[in-house]
Amino acid sequence: MTSTPLPLRVLWNAFYWTYERATWQYDVMVVSILAFVWLTPPDWLKDPMASGSGPIGWLLDVLK
Amino acid sequence: MTFTGLIGRICMFPLRLIINLCVRLKIHPNTLTFIGVLINVAAAWALALGKFVTAGVIMTIANIFDFIDGKVAHESQAVSAFGGFWDSVIDRFSDISLFIGLIFLYSDLRRTDYVMVTALAMMFTIMTSYTRARAESIIKKCKVGFMERPERIVLFMIGAFTNRMAAVMWVILVLSIFTVADRIILTYRELRETHEAIA
Repeated sequence: MTSTPLPLRVLWNAFYWTYERATWQYDVMVVSILAFVWLTPPDWLKDPMASGSGPIGWLLDVLK
Repeated sequence: MTFTGLIGRICMFPLRLIINLCVRLKIHPNTLTFIGVLINVAAAWALALGKFVTAGVIMTIANIFDFIDGKVAHESQAVSAFGGFWDSVIDRFSDISLFIGLIFLYSDLRRTDYVMVTALAMMFTIMTSYTRARAESIIKKCKVGFMERPERIVLFMIGAFTNRMAAVMWVILVLSIFTVADRIILTYRELRETHEAIA
């Protein structure tokens, strides 16, 4: 894996997860998951229990 | 110190008090495990009714029992092989009951797409623990993959408290698939290395 380009190595390490809890890699993963859960507009996922465009949708509306 | 490490330390303070209380009251760890699953069934019921915040509160209480049983066993010198087995089996019932609660809710809402997403997430959740258990009968350790039980539990609670259960189901599904794949890859590699070392 050492000759592999960095982005591919990062993707592989995210997929083939060998890090312990309470490491910076774990923190990055947790923040990414929380960002997906909280920022993705429920409408995009067709959430049966939530609606609205969420923070991303609001930002896109502002930028329009 | 990392961000998640700090949160762990903060949460550990009240849990330590509960652990000490259980040890002092001589509550058997297997009883705590069983109480945990019963409370999780109540949480599943709340999920099935679409009462996510109530489900979140009940899940928090249930998961305190889930978390402390091992620590109480350790501190009261009640660690046993059966206790470990009992804990693993009961944990699967807790996991599955929460998924069934959600499947009931989504089918009640006539949302076949999310019935499938939740059912698949449940399947890969079960396979996550099965692959590890089966792998560790033939290799020394199989602890790879991100989506283990503590992560799943916290995600369920976040989804319930913030009404983002659909996004949480997608995360659990995708990362559980990765975790199962990781465990298969690790087991294959370990066995191949052993085979090559013998040959």
